[in-house]
Amino acid sequence: MSPPLAALFRPTSIAVVGTNRVQGSVPYDLFHNILRDGFRGKVYPVSPRESSIDGVQAYKYVLDIEEPVDLAVIVFPSSVCHLALEQCGRKGIPAALVISAGFREVGQAGAQREERLREIAGRYAIKLIGPNCLGLINTDPRVSLNASFARRLPEPGAIAFLSQSGALCTAVLDYAQARHIGFSSLVSFGNKAGVTEIDLLRYLADDPRTRVILLYLEEVTDGPGLMAAARQTIAETGKPVLVLKAGRTRAGAAAASSHTGSLAGSDQICDAAFRQAGILRCDTVEDMLDAAVALVGQPVPRGNRVAIVTNAGGPGVLATDRAVRAGLSLAGFTAETTAALKKSLPATASIRNPVDVIGDARADRYQAAVSAVLADEGVDGALVILTPQSMTDIAAIAGEICRLAGASSGEPPSADLTRAAQPKPLYACFMGQRDVAEGADILQSGGVPQYGQPERMCEAFARAWRFGVIRRRLRSEPPVEAEAPAGGTAAGELPARARELLANPAGRRYLPLDQALELLACYGLPVPPYALARTGAEAAAAAERIGFPVALKAVSEQVVHKSDAGAVRLGIGTGGEAAEGFRAVREAALQASGARVDGVLVQAMAPPGLELILGFKRDPAFGTAVLAGAGGIWVEVLRDVSFRIPPFGEGEALAMLEELAVHPLLAGARGRPALDVGALAGCILRVARLALACPGIEELDVNPLLVYERGRGCAALDARVARRRT
Amino acid sequence: MDRSEVERRVSRAILRVLKLPPGEVTPEANFIFDLGADSMQSLQLVAAFEEEFGVEMDQEAALAVLTVASAVDFIKAILDSRG
Repeated sequence: MSPPLAALFRPTSIAVVGTNRVQGSVPYDLFHNILRDGFRGKVYPVSPRESSIDGVQAYKYVLDIEEPVDLAVIVFPSSVCHLALEQCGRKGIPAALVISAGFREVGQAGAQREERLREIAGRYAIKLIGPNCLGLINTDPRVSLNASFARRLPEPGAIAFLSQSGALCTAVLDYAQARHIGFSSLVSFGNKAGVTEIDLLRYLADDPRTRVILLYLEEVTDGPGLMAAARQTIAETGKPVLVLKAGRTRAGAAAASSHTGSLAGSDQICDAAFRQAGILRCDTVEDMLDAAVALVGQPVPRGNRVAIVTNAGGPGVLATDRAVRAGLSLAGFTAETTAALKKSLPATASIRNPVDVIGDARADRYQAAVSAVLADEGVDGALVILTPQSMTDIAAIAGEICRLAGASSGEPPSADLTRAAQPKPLYACFMGQRDVAEGADILQSGGVPQYGQPERMCEAFARAWRFGVIRRRLRSEPPVEAEAPAGGTAAGELPARARELLANPAGRRYLPLDQALELLACYGLPVPPYALARTGAEAAAAAERIGFPVALKAVSEQVVHKSDAGAVRLGIGTGGEAAEGFRAVREAALQASGARVDGVLVQAMAPPGLELILGFKRDPAFGTAVLAGAGGIWVEVLRDVSFRIPPFGEGEALAMLEELAVHPLLAGARGRPALDVGALAGCILRVARLALACPGIEELDVNPLLVYERGRGCAALDARVARRRT
Repeated sequence: MDRSEVERRVSRAILRVLKLPPGEVTPEANFIFDLGADSMQSLQLVAAFEEEFGVEMDQEAALAVLTVASAVDFIKAILDSRG
């Protein structure tokens, strides 16, 4: 059976619905481009008023075409696209591209038109791309389809580009053409009324002509779906997924109602979610294409140990600096490699890494040096730098590099490299513009990633290496389903007491502190003994019962930062102190503007430990984001936090902790004992489970959560739980 | 002016502006989808109706009219409101 989107990517017949004879208009250019760029199937212009266009018989309605049609490209004004799509449905056309603008992007009336398209597509099971898009390109010579208003079909290649912005497609095409970057397909998916980037990603995962998938996104509407599709693509097919996501600087809607709310900007969550799914996030188009040519042209590096070969000292130093900063390391050479370099290079050459073959080096010297370093088992890849001197045979060196990379047309790599068994990536940086242009062309045409600056080359290598790490991780870790920890509660199951606590008969936004702690306990989080006191006498009695010393905390919805308001007393040692402390704490809370005080929490004093914060917040794109970070009163100042999208397993929980600046303290810094990271990871998983089980909670944070020495666990001392607004 | 007269004169204006053979203009016909009017011709149609009936139309509202029958209703309403 054909894949579900085959009619879009590999149609055998196309109707261009709403075209005309006005050259330079979108309706005409769409039709003309399909013809001009050599589409292998049949094309039917559908135009209410024309009998023929460009010498091809035209039809008034798509229903007038007698033969079957695989794909309709609709270019009518938005007000009548639904009429065209309805006819396509009646004709049984399985796929449609609606190029026209004037839908959701223009407001309410447009949104209604878009909804109508969605309804018709749903009713007839039409795979619909758009509206408001540039179209679709498939460079497969068996299809040769340019159903877009891009100026030309790009060179065939193995990169697929999916873009929410049509205009960006044309710019990327132009830019890529200058760098000999080929594409398997390009799709501008516009408003996503039918087919989404997730459907396209899944299709391209199975497309044998595509090896790297690039995605430009302006909005994430189904974050978990995108994560699952990306993860599956990477793990099952090994294809990298690179995303350029706009909107990095938009201020997150950070409600100040909890620490987690103010710490979790939507872009940070997006960043974390992409990382978790193995998506490589890029900052610029150039950045994305730099990484794409590396990943498509050369093997993925097995490690981060690079050898730099250069004919100039300065660029070698620049490359070294950037390589180290990007997380790469300069390989140390074996004695054999050093001997080989010594034998083939002049005495003045540097035979240590970076290898300097000296300014007068010609192709033979590059060949000898690059061969030697690639053969070294301690080298994971070679970075070759060339600066154009008067004696540099640039084109010959480029040809030699292509040959060594095994990327030149049909020429096998040298036998002495043993590369066939263990291919290693080779990148080039021919620095300059005019003099190196021919060499750069040879490299790019030969599939060797070529960069104008050593820094970009190093960044691209680092990205490719990281992708290899990610791919191994995803392949070794099956996706995690929400599940119960030992003694815990399954995600979908809400304990009866938790349900009671969240019922909220009084319509209050926040759970009182005693109830918030009780909720944590329901999910297996370690909460020291506590009691709620409403009088000084009750406080004294509770303290006696719990055992001294105790802490006193005001329970009040309005007081977020209790210690700032003086509404916390620690180290209470007697019943008298407890009664007195009760009055002081209550008074302090009352003085906080408009505070209503429910009582005072009497809580067993926990021994000192490292203070962390755990929490979660809801996110419109990704559902829920769980947070871990450096806790205590400085949490907003330090902003040392990491995020994950639940469900996830212990491996991700531990990785969250490794991302924190505070992580060395957990591992045991400066002779201090290592802390109970296992128990802490367990707490993170419990918070994640609570988040999934309690959709009625908008935000939650546990702060501080104290972490003790290994084997001694954690203690959740305070919590804030905000119900979802109804 | 009665509706049939408005219909007759609307059809005449459409045939003239869009240069269509007689018989193409039916009440259900959509100016764009069935009669193939482009954006310039849509503006010309509005101008032709104004001239034909000696009325002034709100351009945005007039361009939102999609079918021949709706155009007849639209113009009839303007004429009726004039008394």
